[in-house]
Order: sequence, then C-alpha cells, then structure tokens
Amino acid sequence: MTTGRKVSIYVALVLLAAVSVVPFLWMLATSFKHGPDIYTKVPNLLPVDRKTGEWAATLENYDYVLGVGGLGSAFVTSVWVCAILVPAKLLIDALAAYAFARIPFPGRDKLFVIMLAGMMVPTITLLVPRIHVTQALGMFDSGWGLIIPNVASVLDIFLLRQFFLSIPGELEEAALIDGAGRMQIFWRIVLPLSKPVLAVVTITSFLFHWNDLVWPLVVTNDPELYTLPLALQQLVASPDGGRAYYIMAGATLAVLPVIVVLLIFQRRILQGIAFTGLKG
Amino acid sequence: MSRGLVRGAVAALLAIGLTACGGGSGGGQGSDKELTFWMYQDRTPQAGQVIEKIRKDFEAANPGVTVKIVKIPKDDYNTKLGSAVASNSAPDAGILDQPLVSKFALDGTIKEVPAGLINEADYYKGALDTNRANGKLYGLPADQTCVALFYNKKLVPTPPKTWDELKQVAAQVHAADPNIAGMNVPKGDGYGGWMFPAIVHGAGGEMVDDAGKKVLFDQPPAVEALQLWVDLLKSSPRQITDSDKPFENGLAAMTITGPYDVPTIRADFPDLDFGVAPLPYKTEPAGNIGGEDSVVFSTSKNADLAWKWLVFLTNPQNNGQLADALGGFPVNVKAQVVAGGPEQAAFLEQLKVAHARPAVPQWIQINDEIIAPAIESALTGKATAQQALADAAAKTRTLLGWNS
Amino acid sequence: MTAPPLVEQQDLAPGPRGGARRRPVARRRDHLVAWLLIAPALAYFLVFLLYPALSALYYSFTDWNLRSEASWVGLANYTDLLFDDVKYPHFWKSVGVTLQYTLLSVPMTLVAAMVQALLLNAIRRGSNLFRLLLFLPVVTAEAAVGAIWRWLYDPQYGLINSALGLFGIPGQNWLNTPELVIPALAFIATWQCGISMIIYLAGLKGIPGSIQEAAIIDGAGPWQRFWRVTFPMLRPTTFYLVVTGVIAALQVFGLVYVIFSGSGRSVTGGPEQSGLTYVLHLYLFAFRYDAMGAACAMSFILLVFIMIVTALQFRFLKREAA
Repeated sequence: MTTGRKVSIYVALVLLAAVSVVPFLWMLATSFKHGPDIYTKVPNLLPVDRKTGEWAATLENYDYVLGVGGLGSAFVTSVWVCAILVPAKLLIDALAAYAFARIPFPGRDKLFVIMLAGMMVPTITLLVPRIHVTQALGMFDSGWGLIIPNVASVLDIFLLRQFFLSIPGELEEAALIDGAGRMQIFWRIVLPLSKPVLAVVTITSFLFHWNDLVWPLVVTNDPELYTLPLALQQLVASPDGGRAYYIMAGATLAVLPVIVVLLIFQRRILQGIAFTGLKG
Repeated sequence: MSRGLVRGAVAALLAIGLTACGGGSGGGQGSDKELTFWMYQDRTPQAGQVIEKIRKDFEAANPGVTVKIVKIPKDDYNTKLGSAVASNSAPDAGILDQPLVSKFALDGTIKEVPAGLINEADYYKGALDTNRANGKLYGLPADQTCVALFYNKKLVPTPPKTWDELKQVAAQVHAADPNIAGMNVPKGDGYGGWMFPAIVHGAGGEMVDDAGKKVLFDQPPAVEALQLWVDLLKSSPRQITDSDKPFENGLAAMTITGPYDVPTIRADFPDLDFGVAPLPYKTEPAGNIGGEDSVVFSTSKNADLAWKWLVFLTNPQNNGQLADALGGFPVNVKAQVVAGGPEQAAFLEQLKVAHARPAVPQWIQINDEIIAPAIESALTGKATAQQALADAAAKTRTLLGWNS
Repeated sequence: MTAPPLVEQQDLAPGPRGGARRRPVARRRDHLVAWLLIAPALAYFLVFLLYPALSALYYSFTDWNLRSEASWVGLANYTDLLFDDVKYPHFWKSVGVTLQYTLLSVPMTLVAAMVQALLLNAIRRGSNLFRLLLFLPVVTAEAAVGAIWRWLYDPQYGLINSALGLFGIPGQNWLNTPELVIPALAFIATWQCGISMIIYLAGLKGIPGSIQEAAIIDGAGPWQRFWRVTFPMLRPTTFYLVVTGVIAALQVFGLVYVIFSGSGRSVTGGPEQSGLTYVLHLYLFAFRYDAMGAACAMSFILLVFIMIVTALQFRFLKREAA
C-alpha cells in the first residue's frame, strides 16, 4: 500500500470517528456542567462557566443521579439480568441454529420460515399478550420476568444459522465419519469456528437488553427491579422537561460499563477471527 | 455425545423449570395489610421527602399497614397502567389523568366513591367535578393546577391584560431586539391543544357543549383565539422559540406555563427576573384546570384501606404539602396553601376562573388527532384559522356522531 | 469468479451424503437430537411469540381497550383503518413517513457501515481504537440518544448548526421543520450503524486472502477488486443486513418516541405529524387513544406488508446471486 493511500485512509477514519465521538464528548462535558452553563451560544465541549469562561466542573449531577435518581440500584439489577440472560440466550439460539443449519429432519425448513415470520410481528402489539403469559407463568414483577420472556431470539438464530451455513462442511463430515456425535461436533468444531459471530451476537444482545426500556417498564412494578434504562427514562421524562445535565450524567454512567465490556470483547473478536482459520 | 447433549438439555429445562417456581406477586395480593399506590415520579427530591413523610404518618396511624408507593415517569404512566389493568395486576389505588376518570369509570375499572366517605363541601368544586362520570363520583382530586402568563420583567415591565396589549408588547420586544421572541407561542401538538381552550374561554367561548352535544370550536371565539396565536407568531419566530427553555434563557419575553415550572427556574436560572400574571383575555378572564385525580381500582382487595389513604392525602393537614409536592394547589378548602413566591397570587386568581376540560371520553384523541393538527396548519399558514377549525369541527362531529 | 450461493444447504446427514453407512435407526436418532436442540428455542417461540401473535390476531377483529371485554367487530378495524379518514386521519400519513424513513435510513446506514468496515480492514495500527470509537454510538440507551440529539439539533445551542456555521451554511430548525425531520432521524440511524459495521467487518475477515491475492496478480486495482471480489463475497452479509434493516426500519419506534416525547411534548409525532412513524401511530392508538383492537389490526397490516417486502427481497436478491 502506498503511503499516500495509507494517509488518506487514516484521515477518513479520523473524520468518521470524530462524527461518532463528538456527541459523546458533549455528553461527558454536559454531565460535569453546573446547571445553566449548558446554555452557551457556541456549544462548549468543556465544562466552563457560561459567563466567565472559567473551568467550572462539578460532580453534583452524578451525586444526584446516583442518590435521588436511583441509578445505583438500577445498575445492580441491569448487571445481574444481563449476566444471566445473555449467556442463556446465546446457548439456546446457537443450539437451535445448529440444528436448523446442519441436521436434516422433516419439516425443518417450514418450521424455520414460520419462526422467521413470527419475528416480523411488531413487538409492541405482542406486549399485552406477553404480559398475560408472564403473569400466568407466575413471573410477573419478578427477576425471572425480566429474563425468561427474552431468552431466545429468532433474529439471532437466523444470524447464527447463516454463519454456520458458511462454514465448510468437510471438517464436520470427517468427524461424522469418525463416529463423532452431534454435540461433540457442535462443541469441538462448530463453536470454535464461530467465535466472530458468537462475539457479535453476544454484543448485540447485551446491548439490546442493557438498553431495553419497554419490557422492563411493563413487567416490573417493584422499584427494586427497575433497570438502568427505566431509571434513565425517569430523568428524561421528568416533569420539569428533563434536565440535560442530569440525563447526561446518567447516560455516562450507563455507557461506561458497556465500553468496558466492549474492550474485553474487542480482543475476543480479534482472537476469534485470528484462530478460526477462516482467512484461508 | 449423549452425555453432553443430556447436560445441555437438562440445563435448559432446569432454567425453564426454575422460573415456574420463582414467581412474584402482582399488585396488591399477599398480605391484606399491604397497599399499593401508583403515582407519577417526584418533581424534586424535596417532593419525594414530603410524600415519604405522609406515607410514614399514615402507617403510624394505621398499625400493621404498609403502603407501597410506585413512582412512574408521567410519559409512560398510562402505558404501564393499561398493561397492568389488562393483566389483572393493577395497584390498589393510584393517580389517574383527569380525562381518563370518566372512561375508567364507565367500563368498571375503578370503584365509585363510597357514600359518606367525604363531605363534598370540603373540596373545591372545580377539582372535585373532574372526578365525575354520569353524575357519580369516582375519585378524589389530589391537587389542582392551571397555567398563567410568565413574563420577563426586564423585557416586559407591565404584563399585558388583554389580547391587544399582548400583541402590542410582543411586537415591541421583537422590534427592539430581533434575536428575542415576543412570546413562546404554543405549538399545534398535544400540549398546545390542551392550552387552547383557556384562550377560547377568554373570548367568552366554549370548545364543546357536551350536554347539548354541540361542537363549538368553529365559532368566532375559538377562531379569534387561534388567530391571536397566528398573529403573535409574527413577532415570535420559531427559530428562536424552538430551542431548549427559551423563556428561561431570556430568548422569549413571555410564555404560558404552570406553577410546576417555578422551582426549576429558581434553581437553574436564578438571574431571571420574572413575574406571573393571569392570562390575557378578550372579553372575560378565564383559564383551564389541570392536576391529578386519585382513584381506587376495582381489583383492589383492600378497597376500604385504599379509600382511607386517599382521604388521608386530601385532608387539611396533608393536602397543602402534597399539592405543593405535586406542583399544584390544594383541593381541600381547609388546607393551607404552602407559602410560595409572589407568583402564587396570579395562579390562585387564575384558578377562580378555571374551566374543566370537556368531559367527552374520546377527548384525548380529538385533542391530539384533530385539534392539534388544525392549530398547526393555521400556525404554519397552510390554512386560515377559520378554515382549519371548521374542518376540525366537522371531523369531530362525524367522529362523535353529533350531527349539528 | 463466482459469488457463493446465498443460502447453500450443507446438510450433514448421516447416510450416503455423510459418507457413513447408517441405518434408519441412526437417522431417527438424529431427528431426535435435532428436536432436542431446537426444543428450548421452540418452546420460547410458541409461548412468547406464536401465542401472543395469535392472541393479537384475535384482538385485531375486536373492539378492545385493555380494560373491558373485547367485543367482536369482524373486519371493521381493517376497513376503517384503510378507508375511514375521520377515525384514523393519519394512518396513510404514517405509512408515508415510514416508507420515507426506510428508503433513506437503510441505504445510508449500509453505505456508512460498508465504508467504515473497508477502512478498518485496510489498516493494522490503531484499528482496535478506531473500531471502538466508531462503535460507540450504538452502545447508548435510546432514551439518552434522544436527549443528546435533541440538543445537537437545537436551533439555538446545537452543535450541528454551529458546525454548519463554520462552512457558512445557515442553521436549520431541524426537528421542527417537517421536511427535515425524516432526514434528521435517518442521520441519527446512520450515526448508529456500528452493528452493521461489525457484521461487515466479520464478513470481510472471512474473505480468503488467496482470492484477493489472485486478483492482485491479475492486475486488478483497488476499485476493481472491491467490485469484482469484495462486494460479491459480501453479498450474503449485505443480504442479511438489508433484510433485517428493512424490517427494523419499518418498525422504527424508540427513536421517534424519545425524540418527540418528554414533558410538555405530547407524543403526537413531531411537526405536522412528519415524524409519526407507523409503529408510533400504532402505539398511540394502543395506549393513548384506547383502541388496542385497532392497534392490533395495524400490526397485522404491517406484518403482511413486511412479509411481502421480505419475500420480494429473497426472490430478487436470490436471482441476483445466482
């Protein structure tokens, strides 16, 4: 690659990254601003006094959202819900996807199409019947109610199946001939080869549930069970029109752990890609 | 292979089986001494403390009783309540939007106020009337509120009393500094639609006559009220007023809002020198009424206790504090208004001439889907005020089946 | 140069194709294994998708407000939605808004995602950092995204107008000008293209280096290599992203809800209903205007539409791939 091309690639990346990141810098700065300092004619990405222009960072917004805003306990709830939900969902989806991709059985493709169709019903109308079911199973307003009604995803099964289909079948065929069982093939061959897609599914489903507002809203009554997005929504939809500096402090707290998770998985994705042998 | 498979299957089954055991309790089941009450989230931390104190007082006065208060963002309240009612997990009692009381009453979702529970003379009539359906009482008001004119004293030395003065002042402000809007004119959205009747009443008009089943908002008073907003827009460009908190930031000289905005202004904009005056009118002083009602749900197993709690909230000792925490004024005539700033007088004045909104069950839908778009089309110049309202009134008549 | 088939079945059946000569017993055992693997997902599907969907289908033929008993009204909800513009004055408006949003946001998102993935794939040093930065917009809760962008688009204090001002472009009143609402929303969606970007990146890493090398030896330039090797190899990925992207865009809700909600802003869908997407409209009827029956009917009209669109995509893109 010529140096000129290299430079232009980096320039393009820096510009794109700036568009991605500036809203976050604004969020971060706002979270440290004191009340009216957010109203400056020229938006300021530093927490400074709006009149004097002097540095005026404060932690009072964090103090508020962690205490009165209830973000602390919501944080704990969100962590354990995701810690159980995401791995359980990944396992259930991967098992099903493998069967749909590799094991022929009567009616398989019809079943798959029906499940795909189910994915397309707008979830908002399923809300009330789902609450009925959750209620009937005795899970309403409980931790299980936050987990079980989300514990599989047709979309993820679709994505995993697509990926399993793209893995060359020779290895598995050889294993079958050697008399290996389905589960052995799944654990020893398919899953290790699928690390990139598993990482992608893990991240997307973690993000979805970490940020999901509607289901926790309708399924919980007990404030102890409120998740982070619910606590955040309390700040956004507050009767005084939502104070940007509180919201941004809350949003910053909600984003930090995700960035940590992302940093961990970032390496996983790389490893996955490096060791799969997919690069040929 | 089979061992691995079995392990996986067992794990999955276990996960599902366990959940069947670990259930929760919905609403107010369980101990008959626990009472669940739903309300909007606190406006301020101080408000939360006031409500907490009232809760503890009630528990102290009623040994063995626990009151569990669930606070929900106002924007999501009705969604959550609807889902809860549909799945038989409604609370014992809760706050209910004024226009929803008649609907919930008509389909039996809430209980009628037991005879002899309260002395109706203890309550402000306007506020109590928002709880009536078919002439019967289905709830108790918790607080009442209204909107008034907020003005920036630096830009508007004397508040306008009439529509003509209002237009004049707005024009002067904008002429003096084109970066400042005369007034934060309401928009054609649900909120603007809610404020609109207050202006119509100021010209001696009505939105509807629900007894006579007549739609009246295509009559001259309403058309003139809308024309007023259209005229005001000339000295109040939206490019200025569509920003965040234009009045508080000194970009709009006047705005219409309620007492609930006062604490925020005091806390975040201490430099803003503002006053509050009754709404300018054309022929007679008038305004609208808002606030929260509280009801007991039919599924409650502790209805008596729930009513006791609602009465406790509205008794002379507690109601002043509670109303202040909710951002409004007491509904009990004997309750003390919590002393506030100088703006209080204007609101109390305004409450005396307040009109309740039409008691038409479909009113929210008419407000959002028909009136709000009509207001917006006049404000954007796509139709004249007359055309917009005539069209909206015709649609409303068809929707309600009122053919006159 | 051939593109891989879109959905290639590589069934690994015991028997002739699997190589091992197994008896029907083995095959039946295999079926059992398959059902066991699918069982948890299937149970979930039946209980939390199929049953709720059928139940919503039933309600779509009723007049139901969540509180009282549902009463059967036959096809009235469907015919009223399609033809009664007094009862549902904004139904067709919401259809138009949603189509506009989909046609704008899906291509914008995919192009942005593809460009980012290609750039990231071309570098070694700093790729971790850039990937993280480009992925950041996805990780934020919708409620916060709405609050952030309402501020960025603010006509007085907004960063966007300030940035445009640097280039001498006059500021706009983005979220309050009907014509600008959909582009403004589509831009937020594009800003959040990180998931598609990661999926493209996974796809790019999956292209065997030998193919690229062969193309280089053949003397193909970067542009040619993209169109003749990379793009066709990414076709299954693009297909997946288009199909799921269209389905998601047709159901867009959270973003508009948070942008146009908040105290003092009744959720009526932005200026002149220019942000009233189909599902927001549905939501309002379900939970605000007390017409859950009609809302259910709306969701099945949408379902049929989505199925038609998806079927067309399968047919169209499959032919393309062959």
